Order: sequence, then structure tokens, then C-alpha cells
Amino acid sequence: MDAVLPQLITGLSIASILLLVALGLAIIYGTTGVINLAHGEFVMLGAYSAWMLQTVIGLGLLESLVIIFLMVALLGWLVERGVIRHLYKRPLDTILATWGIGVIAQQAIRLTAGGELRYVEMPSLLAGSVPIFGVETSLFRVFILVLAAALFGLTWYLMYRTDIGMKLRAITQNREMASCFGINSRRIYSLTFAYGAGLAGLAGALVSPLKSVSPEMGTTYVIDAFMVVVLGGVESLIGTIVSSAILGQLTGFLAFYSNDTMAKAVTLLAIVILIRFRPQGLFSKKVRA
Amino acid sequence: MSRRTLIQLCIYGAVCLAILLVPTFVDDAFILNKYGRYLVFGILAIALSLSWGYTGILNLGQATCFGLGSYCMAMALKLRTVPVHTGSEGLPDFMVWNNVETLPWFWVPFHSLSFALIAGIAVPVLFAMLLGWFMFRGRITGVYVAIITLATMVVVNLLIIDQQRFTGGFNGITDLAQLEIMGFTFDAYGSSSYYLIAGTLTVCLFFALAVTKSKAGLIMQAIRDHEDRVRYFGYDVAFFKIFAFSVSAGIAGVAGMLYTIVMEFASPTFLGVSLSLSVVIWCAVGGRQSLLGAMLGAIIVTGMQGALSESEAFLDTWMLIMGFVFVLVVLLLPKGLAGAVEMLVDRLFRREKPQSERSGSPQAAGQTGAAE
Amino acid sequence: MNARPNDDHLVMRDILVSFNGFHAIEGFNFTVGKGELRCLIGPNGAGKTTALDLICGKIKVTAGNILFKGKSLNKLEEHQIAQAGIGRKFQVPSVFKELTVRENLEVAYCKSTSVLANAVRFGHRSEDDSFEKLAELVGLQDAMDRSAGELSHGQTQWLEIALLLAQDPELILMDEPTAGMTHHETQKTAELFNRLKGNHTLIVVEHDMGFVKEIGDVISVMHQGKMLAEGSVTEIEQNAAVKDAYLGSGGISGA
Repeated sequence: MDAVLPQLITGLSIASILLLVALGLAIIYGTTGVINLAHGEFVMLGAYSAWMLQTVIGLGLLESLVIIFLMVALLGWLVERGVIRHLYKRPLDTILATWGIGVIAQQAIRLTAGGELRYVEMPSLLAGSVPIFGVETSLFRVFILVLAAALFGLTWYLMYRTDIGMKLRAITQNREMASCFGINSRRIYSLTFAYGAGLAGLAGALVSPLKSVSPEMGTTYVIDAFMVVVLGGVESLIGTIVSSAILGQLTGFLAFYSNDTMAKAVTLLAIVILIRFRPQGLFSKKVRA
Repeated sequence: MSRRTLIQLCIYGAVCLAILLVPTFVDDAFILNKYGRYLVFGILAIALSLSWGYTGILNLGQATCFGLGSYCMAMALKLRTVPVHTGSEGLPDFMVWNNVETLPWFWVPFHSLSFALIAGIAVPVLFAMLLGWFMFRGRITGVYVAIITLATMVVVNLLIIDQQRFTGGFNGITDLAQLEIMGFTFDAYGSSSYYLIAGTLTVCLFFALAVTKSKAGLIMQAIRDHEDRVRYFGYDVAFFKIFAFSVSAGIAGVAGMLYTIVMEFASPTFLGVSLSLSVVIWCAVGGRQSLLGAMLGAIIVTGMQGALSESEAFLDTWMLIMGFVFVLVVLLLPKGLAGAVEMLVDRLFRREKPQSERSGSPQAAGQTGAAE
Repeated sequence: MNARPNDDHLVMRDILVSFNGFHAIEGFNFTVGKGELRCLIGPNGAGKTTALDLICGKIKVTAGNILFKGKSLNKLEEHQIAQAGIGRKFQVPSVFKELTVRENLEVAYCKSTSVLANAVRFGHRSEDDSFEKLAELVGLQDAMDRSAGELSHGQTQWLEIALLLAQDPELILMDEPTAGMTHHETQKTAELFNRLKGNHTLIVVEHDMGFVKEIGDVISVMHQGKMLAEGSVTEIEQNAAVKDAYLGSGGISGA
């Protein structure tokens, strides 16, 4: 029992970060069908925004969160308007274009902020730890967990309880039909992309105090997030949260019992096999082709 | 043979001849070595053009087969280094440092150079056949193929890094002997290696051209265009895809072997994500649906990159520019520079515009008439 | 030629197709003799296209059996069915848009389907001549070296018909071959089909009753996934059940 509980809490913490990172990707993929390989770079840009706001203006992490969300969301909006919008009919090319955008973002950061590692300070308010079922847990990690849950709730609310979410789901179901009813799919797509990017930026800002910030940090996140989306299935928010939980616990478990490299290799292999046999994800209904 | 094919053959031949003649004008060993590297990338781009440009299989793990070929060559050359580098009893030095006592079984056959040369092609081909069978029998297409190939490459890469005792891990396999075939030594910094690479490039280019000109090549393009329709003509699409994927893998393996010869080491970065991305960029910029375009794309892009790589900041700026160029090409020039050139030539020499039609339906003819 | 039942070319027996519990086709029976030209008609949603999908393997039966020349097609994949001698023209004309008309014909001419045989196979003079003839037949002789994507809708229809002729299958399935064609072109198609029957077995799904009258000896009418009636043009026109089925869609000729 002594070993299991801390293990579970570590897994839960990893899962909450995964959920944060994957939520944006899942929404974009689910709505527009674009696999946004620049998603990791949006995460990275969020982290750098946090670092910049802290070092340049001296703004604390908590105070910067809203600004970061808006900044990265704006960037996502621009990317959608300038590039992605022209490629919806060429899905394979969206992969390439978003990959290229990722390269641009990485290089731009390397040239402006430098290639060395950067560190973001943890908010002093959350620097301590609290006992949870007798296990000392970092307060900041608890904060991430709560915030991830809140953002998930907000997204769910947006998707299922608002007008715009209804339109979005209508487009996902059938784009032509939706536009017949006067739904402007272009505007919805831009907004979705911006929202997804903003979420990624937020995720980057939140993990920045836990890990060092570097131009390459996005690469690992995009793979992790992609795994969550593939496992959870498109168009399924519940799938996203369940698969985050599964992968979080699994990663925590594997990292504990074997070495990191092999853990990564095994999860990737699992993803490959999953895509081969269930490309629609574990938690999606089977769709008629 | 059509006139078009004839012209194409002449252009391809002229380019290869020009490449083969380079050492008569350049005798700086370092420059030749550098040029050799660019040519190797040209071969790699030909391989991707065959699978992506001609068959529509976007292989984001093209570097896997390149790396496998490169390691096959490195293993053979490692076993041929003078004892001072190979530790006691002919064991490679890194194995000695990792307390490996006997040569692992999969290293043993690499004592034979011929085995290594065959393995450098056969291992990537077998790998591609297995992966291709796994994907294409299950009718995995498009984006999912891209993701599976990418993920598989990362797995192989991680395995090589993890199994340091047998593969040299992060450091790769270094301190290699020079390739020696029938008493003839290929010096990495000499015209011999350059000729070897340029010659292989010519063979690969014309081999790939022959594949695309064959009926199988035509069916590959039909699959790229409309995969399902091909099935109803009785072709087993999966087999044709596996064929294209494997031929591409074999050529990539050859490129990998040559790369080990010019670089004088093999490293996990040879099957890395960034190299794979680069190959895709070269092909996209040069024109993925043209073997020559893709090859020249690789040579030009890496050549310019090499010229700018003197300073670190320059290289970063270069990558930034490449990122922009890549996105622009994807957006505006899906057929790359080769496609643009072809369009220009068509405009210049085929004065008549593609007319709507006159023999077919009366409406279409009416439209043409109205436009005239 | 009418030596049925020994000469049954295609037999569909007690077919059931179910999509997520919805029975698109149920209790469907259908037999076509060798060399026959059979028209398959029916109101929208009757399951005509689904029936063709079943024969060419695009959809698998949930239950029942499809026999071609006495052999079951149930376990075969699409390409194996095509190799067995069944070709199909799709409702939405499906050609290879990036290839030229000549290349399209080359792909369709599939005497050998194995990878290795095709890897060492390059253009042949004799084939080229036959492609020219085919193109002439469908009025595309001037477009041989143009990419199929540049063709008009009607020309694309013709090209796909030419592809089927190059493929030369024993059984040809045609899904609305005259859609988008002018009256003159429809006439030409009718002539072509009348020439094909006898040597080939044809199943033609069509809405245009004028065209059906022109080519069809025997007409099969589908309704709600079942075979409603079968007979000559006059028999079908007088059939009460058929009239009922078409009621509301403006009668049989208006469908």
C-alpha cells in the first residue's frame, strides 16, 4: 500500500499535464481533421511567454496565464488564417505545413531567446506541499490537476452547452449540411484552432516551472499529446480524459519499473499497433465508412 | 519510346555526367568529401520521391532505412579496423568498455564485407516489407502511414541508443576502417569515394526511373491518384505499395552505406526525426513527383546549408528560412520547383493552351467556341 | 444463348446486408445469364448501387451467397473479384485524374496483375494500337496525352467506359452510365451496349427509362432492398406493384 499510493498520485499528476497538452490537439483534430504537428511548438511558445513575462516585466506565472492564453491563441488564429485554411482539402499537406510551422517557431525562438535552457520560477504561493492521504504532494502539482480539470469542464461546457459548440459539432458531423443551415464553418474553424493553440500555450506555461524550457521541448509533448488523442479517439472529449488517465498511470508505472527509454519505445509500439487495428481510437463508436 | 521519355533520358544523363565530371575541376579533398555527402542525400531524396511522390506513401521515417544501411556498413568497417581501436581479441572498443566478452551473434557475419554490402540493402528492404505488410494489408493510408512510419523510426532509434553494449549507443560506431574492395581503397577524403557515390547515384537514379516507367510504376501512380479504383481492375494494391515501399527502402539503405563511408562513422542521428524531416523538405522543394527534381532539391538545399554552416547563427537563420520556404512550397507549389519548371517549359514550347475539347460533348465544345 | 439455368453467370441468393442493424438489403435474389444485358431499376434508396457494391466486393454480405460462374465471391477481396472477371463503372466517374488518357487505358489493361511481371513490363506497340482504337470508339483519340483531370464530365464518363473495355471483363457492372450525357451521347452508349451484349454479360443500373427501353431485354426492379419484379419492358410497365413502388416519385418514367 505504501508504494502504490505515491505511485498513483504521480500518475495522476502526469495525467493532468497530458490532458492539458492533449486537450487542444484533440479539439483541433476532432473538428478540422488537421493533425497539428506544430502543437508542441505552441506548448513551447507558452512556456517561453511565461519566461519572458517573468524576466522582462517581472510578472508572476499566475498573473500571466490569461495573457499567455491570449497570445498563443492569437498566433494559432493567424496560423489557421494564413496557412491551414488553404489545405483542408489536402490532409497530408497539413501535416507537412504544420511541421514546417513548428520548425519556424523553434528557429525563431532559438534566434531570439537563445538555445540554452531557461527556468521559470514557481509561484511562491504554490511552492509548498500538502499531504494527500498521507503522501506529501507538491501544491503546484495539485494546482495543475485542479486547473486541468477546470479547463476540461470549461471545454466541455463550450462544446455541449453553448451555441458555438453546437455549431462546431454540427460541422464535425457534416460540413456541407451545416453550411446549408448558414453556419460559417470558416469562422468556427479559426476559432477552434485559436482555442486549441491557446490551451497548448497555457499547458506550456503551467509545466514550465516543473521542467526546463528549451526550443526543442515541444517535440516530446506533441508525441505524448498525439498518443492521448489516438488512444481516446476523435470527437470524444471523454475519451481524451480517460486516455490521459490511462497513459499517465502507465507512464508513471513504466518509468518506475523499467528505464525511461524502453518505456517510451514500448508506448510508441503500442500506439503503432493501436493505429493499425483501431484507427478510430478506443473510445469512439465505430463509424460506417 | 516517346519523345518525352527520350528528352527526359537526355536530361537525366546530362545531369549525371556533370556530377561525375566534378572531380576534374575540384581537387580539394575536403570539398569533394562535402559534395559526396550532398550526393548521398540526393540518393535518399530519390528514394522518398519513389514512395511519396509516385505512390503517395508519405514515409516520415525515411531515415530508418538510411540508418539501417549505414549501421550495416559501419559494423563491417568497425571489425576491419586495426586492433588498436578494436580492443582485445577483435572486439570493438565500445563493447570492451561495456564489458561485453564475446562478439554478439548478429555482429559475427559482418566479418565478411560482401555480407555487409548485401545486408545494407537487404535489411532495410526486409524491414520495409514487414512494416509495409503490417500497414498496407490493413489498408492504413495517408496520415496514419505518416504517423506509423514516424513512430517506428523513433522506436528503432531508441532501441539503438538503449542497447549501447551492442550498438555504441548515443556515440554510434566510430573509428572505422576505410572501405576496401578487391584491393582498392575508398578514401573518404579522395576522389575515389566521390566517384563511388556519383556512380551509385547514377545507377540509383536510372534504376528508379526504370521502375517509374514500367507498368508497375504506372500502377503506383494510379494508386497515388485513386487507390480504390485500382483494386477494381484486379491489382492487389497492398502488394504494389509494399513493392514501392521496399524499393525505396533499398535505395535509402544504399545511401546510408555510402554515408558511413564519407562520414567515417554511424550514429543514431542518422535515423533521427530531423533528418527524416529534411528529406521531406528536399523532396517537396525540388518536386516530389520528379526523381531528378527531388535529387537536385536535396543537393541544392544541403549544398546551401553547407555553405552557410560556417557560423552557428547563420545555420539557425537558414533553418528558419527553410521552414518558411517549405510552408510556402506546400501551400503554393505542391509539385515543387520541378513542377514549376515543367509548367514554364510547357508554356514556352506548347503554345496552344489545353483546350476544353472538341470531339466530346457538345456543351464543352460550345464553351470553347464561346471563348475563342 | 438462353440456355438457362446451366448458363447462369451471376447468382445472388438470399442476400442480407445490414449496416449497424439497418437492413439495406434483405431476402434479395438475383440471377443473370451469360451474355445477357440486364437493367436494374428502382426508386431512390432501393439498393441498386448496394447490389453492385456487393458483386464487386466493395461491401460484404452479412448473409447469403453470391456465385459467379458457380464460384462463391463471398470470401474474395475486391482485386480477386476483378481478376475473376468482373469490372465496374462507378456512379461518380472514377478515373486517374493525374494520369493521361493513354496511361489510364494502360492501367486498365490488366492481363497480368502481379507486381513482378509489371515491374519488367514497358509499353508495347500492339497494345498502343488497341488503345488508339478504344479511344477512337469513345471519341477521345485527340486527348490521348492529356491528363484525365482536364476532361469534361461527359468525357470522363466515356473514359471510364473505355477503361472497362480495356479491362475486358466477362461481367460488366454499370452504375448510371448515361448520367450527365447528352441525348446524342446516350444514343451512342445504347449502341455500344447493344454491341457488347452476347460477348459480355452486363448489369446496368439506370434511371433513364428511355435508355432502358433501348437496351434492356429483361428488367429487374428493386424496391426497399428486395427484388420487386422481373420481366420485359412492357411487363414491367404494366406491373401494379411497380406502379405502387414508384408512386409519389412521378411514375416509372419520371424516376
